[in-house]
Amino acid sequence: MAMTTRQRAKLSRGIQYAVLILVLIALVVLADWQILYERVFNPAVIADQFPGIITIALKNTLIYTALGFVVGLSLGVILALMKLSSVAPYRWIATLYIEFFRGVPALLVFLALGYGIPLAFGFRFNHYVTVMIALGVVAAAYIAESLRAGLQAVPAGQYEAARSLGMSHTRAMVTIVIPQALRIVLPPLTNEVILLTKDSSLVYLLGMGLAQYELTKFGREGISGAGAGLTPLVAAGICYLIITVPLGLLSRRFETKTDRVKKSS
Amino acid sequence: MSTSATDNTPATTGSQAPAVSVRGLNKAYGDLEVLRGIDLTVHPGEVVCLIGPSGSGKSTLLRCLNLLEEPQSGDITVSGFDVTDPDIDVDAMRRNVGMVFQQFNLFPHLTVLENCTVSQVKVLKRSKTEAERTAMTNLERVGLAEKAQQRPGQLSGGQQQRVAIARALSMNPDLMLFDEPTSALDPETVGDVLAIMRTLANEGMTMLVVTHEMSFARDVADRVVFMDGGVVVEEGPAREVIGSPKHERTRSFLSRVLNPTKVDAPE
Repeated sequence: MAMTTRQRAKLSRGIQYAVLILVLIALVVLADWQILYERVFNPAVIADQFPGIITIALKNTLIYTALGFVVGLSLGVILALMKLSSVAPYRWIATLYIEFFRGVPALLVFLALGYGIPLAFGFRFNHYVTVMIALGVVAAAYIAESLRAGLQAVPAGQYEAARSLGMSHTRAMVTIVIPQALRIVLPPLTNEVILLTKDSSLVYLLGMGLAQYELTKFGREGISGAGAGLTPLVAAGICYLIITVPLGLLSRRFETKTDRVKKSS
Repeated sequence: MSTSATDNTPATTGSQAPAVSVRGLNKAYGDLEVLRGIDLTVHPGEVVCLIGPSGSGKSTLLRCLNLLEEPQSGDITVSGFDVTDPDIDVDAMRRNVGMVFQQFNLFPHLTVLENCTVSQVKVLKRSKTEAERTAMTNLERVGLAEKAQQRPGQLSGGQQQRVAIARALSMNPDLMLFDEPTSALDPETVGDVLAIMRTLANEGMTMLVVTHEMSFARDVADRVVFMDGGVVVEEGPAREVIGSPKHERTRSFLSRVLNPTKVDAPE
């Protein structure tokens, strides 16, 4: 009566399907669909969210993300070049920066900029500048590491061949090394944009007017409305996915493209 | 260094300035001395092969000539440029010196044609049309004109190396350096690359070739230089050095390379 390996695998698969189906049946039978409908996914409440959730919240989330990315990328490029510098103190500064801002929660940076600096120095940045710096300085640490890895992943022979053809250092970097490095860093860079999109939710910590609400703050205000239930947060969540899922798909597209380049070299 | 053959240069070319002149070249990585007092002369139109066991410093010597490696001391002149002068215009010197690498080092993000034009346009400031014309001429020379629009990754190793030769030739160099150009190739594609190098040699190109292809060295080189342990052990006309080496170290190296299956008693 001993079972073969194949029979055992078949039985195991059968049991896994059975468990899955039982759980689904239990959910369908036990869940209170009426309450879920009213309090979690209430079309009437969702309708109330419009158009603000798009024209204010989604728009601001995109603006905050873009601001953070611009600062993060610019600072990240500088840090990556510092980390690859032949001048040791530059490398130390870049390493310190990266370790620090990768190590502390973004939340802490927001609190420091939003509340710490005004308390300590009696001086407050403009709202958008605060967001831009807070998101940017953290993103820069991650972006710098991706860029450095990308630049180092281009074989040294590429640079040597370019120089051997009479190109200057700058010309060889701009024409030969950086285009190849960019292809390598596009997937991690896309991931960084996804992380930034989500980190922009931390803006809710800062005091602000309705016009500056982003998705999380907008959803949070929404649930305090009478009878709104969870629905405003669910709506906000869906809006995040509308941004991040396409970015994820894009990242995977880049990845397969890079693989092709790598295989062909 | 250790033989009197060092100054055995052909009298016929003695009146011209040498294409390459190396005097007392030293190069070390930390405590490891890779080159110890190298003297070498290559005359215009000459083909010189550098042979020797791995780690003998052949590639390092070649890379010192166009400053991919920084020599510690010694004098190097390459096609009229004083390479060891700290104020040398490195880029100008390299424009005159073509380099072919063991790993080809084609630019994978550019087409075959772009590989051959990019430096002409960016460095020599040739027009795109002129650069493409030069590139196509050289791609025809290596028999790959029909691959102009493909990416390097779509070519075989031998084809990539031929493109690398065309890329170097497109800069109209006075001198071509080859760093083990066939060592990374499948055996069946080695012949195509060697055939092109042979044609180049016959056309009068000045060539300095680091190679393990003894039959190529014997048939094509005007002179063969045998290096071991960072010094030039023996040099002379190709047939003499390979056919009847004077030095014991050369003999033992050649017998190992030419009869790889024969087990030698250690010297």
